[in-house]
Amino acid sequence: MTELSAHLAFRRPGFDLRLRLALPGAGITALLGPSGGGKSTLLRLLAGLERPRAGHIRHRQRLWYARAAGIDLAPRRRDLGFMFQDHALFPHLSVAENIGYGLARAPDRAARVTHWIERVGLGGLAQRRPGQLSGGQRQRVALARALAPAPALLLLDEPFSALDASLRQSLRLLVQELVAETATCALLVSHDLEDARQCADRIGVMIDGRLRRLDEAEALFAAPGDAEVARVLGWPNTLAVTRWEGRAACGPWGRVELARAPRRADRVVALLPDGPRPGARAGLAVEIARVIDMGPYRALSCRLPDRTALRIHLPRALPCPARGERTLLDVPPGCAIALPAGTAKTIQSTRYRP
Amino acid sequence: MSALLACSPDALLLSLRVVAVTLALLLVAGVGLGYLLSLSFPLRWLLDALVSLPLVFPPIAIGFFLLMLFGRHGVLGAPLHARLGWELVFSFPALVLAAFIAGLPLVVKPVQSAIEGSARVLVEASYTLGKGRLETLWRVVIPAVRPSLAAGLTLGAGRAFGEVGITLMLGGNLIGSTETLSLAIYNHVLDGDFTCATRLSLLLGGISLVLFLLLRRLGRL
Repeated sequence: MTELSAHLAFRRPGFDLRLRLALPGAGITALLGPSGGGKSTLLRLLAGLERPRAGHIRHRQRLWYARAAGIDLAPRRRDLGFMFQDHALFPHLSVAENIGYGLARAPDRAARVTHWIERVGLGGLAQRRPGQLSGGQRQRVALARALAPAPALLLLDEPFSALDASLRQSLRLLVQELVAETATCALLVSHDLEDARQCADRIGVMIDGRLRRLDEAEALFAAPGDAEVARVLGWPNTLAVTRWEGRAACGPWGRVELARAPRRADRVVALLPDGPRPGARAGLAVEIARVIDMGPYRALSCRLPDRTALRIHLPRALPCPARGERTLLDVPPGCAIALPAGTAKTIQSTRYRP
Repeated sequence: MSALLACSPDALLLSLRVVAVTLALLLVAGVGLGYLLSLSFPLRWLLDALVSLPLVFPPIAIGFFLLMLFGRHGVLGAPLHARLGWELVFSFPALVLAAFIAGLPLVVKPVQSAIEGSARVLVEASYTLGKGRLETLWRVVIPAVRPSLAAGLTLGAGRAFGEVGITLMLGGNLIGSTETLSLAIYNHVLDGDFTCATRLSLLLGGISLVLFLLLRRLGRL
């Protein structure tokens, strides 16, 4: 059982990170958030590659870092594996040498290297140098290298960012399988919602150096907590509410019925892109500003009367209004939730940009 | 060859010895200082400035200050002479010191840049894989900076061969004792012997070219 708790403060010009984080013994926790929010910095702090200004990091009963007690374990003593965003493979070493780099000299070392090479599907490439591998193969080497020493904590920094869609999918599955097999506690940071949705048991959202939400994936998507977190979790439409009429949210953009009554702190209504349908007899009055063919669906940019922007996804099988057409948009109550704004700057609707 | 040796028989051998010793020193100091300067520690800026100084300071002035420092009555030279009976100036070690100081920034700076650039993340990866600084230096940093090191050593060797200003001050240009190839050319020109000056210049250029090709090849391996 691995337990990691961290309470960290880190500051550099223009950035301040302050959070408390507790990770369970095993499984993948994903941290999502916009770029510059402090996700990678958090990983570097946990790994000991950067030093916090204050706080502590405890792994099981062992302190890795405690400013007050003067404890600061070197990265090599922290029992962790780190998968870097750009692989960081040693270019002068072969695949086998890269994977074996972190293994202690022991009689079974060669066997363990062979096991990992096979396990990540790189059989026959053991003697290749990183420069002779594709992006996906390099990523597999980096994953095997990080896991080979059997670390208690695995840190994954945007592990799939440089890959195309099909490779991302297969590597997500591989990461999931290997983390489950080795019962490792993994912390994955990404700005891609799909990475978290497909890999993680728990998801956290980091914005501006703060951990705004951390919960089981299902609970988090059902109740994002506030509008900023909702945007990170794939609710692209937020409308500022000027008054509530029972379960209905009203504003200069129109009126939307919700499935449940709003709470006192709610200031915003968030709409999912997949539920609203044009061509209704009643609903939000919109003008279709743009239609983008995405293959399986069409992405419609709609303009509300107050020039608020609304993005909806329309399945290909349904009739699609043309650009410039005015229509009424039916918003099923299940597609809208009331939320607090998060921060003051988010109490405004997503604006239309011509 | 015999014509060349007739011009300044000892200068070529002396220069080769100076460059060989200097290259060995630059190899160690270049990697060590490059690695050290890529870390953060108090007064790092001062060490960085001292290493970089020969790039901007006139060699003849550096030579003069070193002469004041290591001369028989200098701040360091006097105690060295009094306690160990060792006199640096006008000796072979003085020639090596001159070439070493002139070539040092040319080796350290490329190595430092390489470590601070692409090699930094490799160093961090090595740390997270359980390796300490020395093992990381040996197994990751040196192989990673090899092309930069080879380029730096090429420049350093060229500088060592061509060094005149500091060598003149510290070595004294004593014919048959501290007269390097570059100083021999200078002396032949002063004597009006342009034939020997031309031969030695061509020889110096040829050696530099061979060294350049050799080190480039090493950097690519």
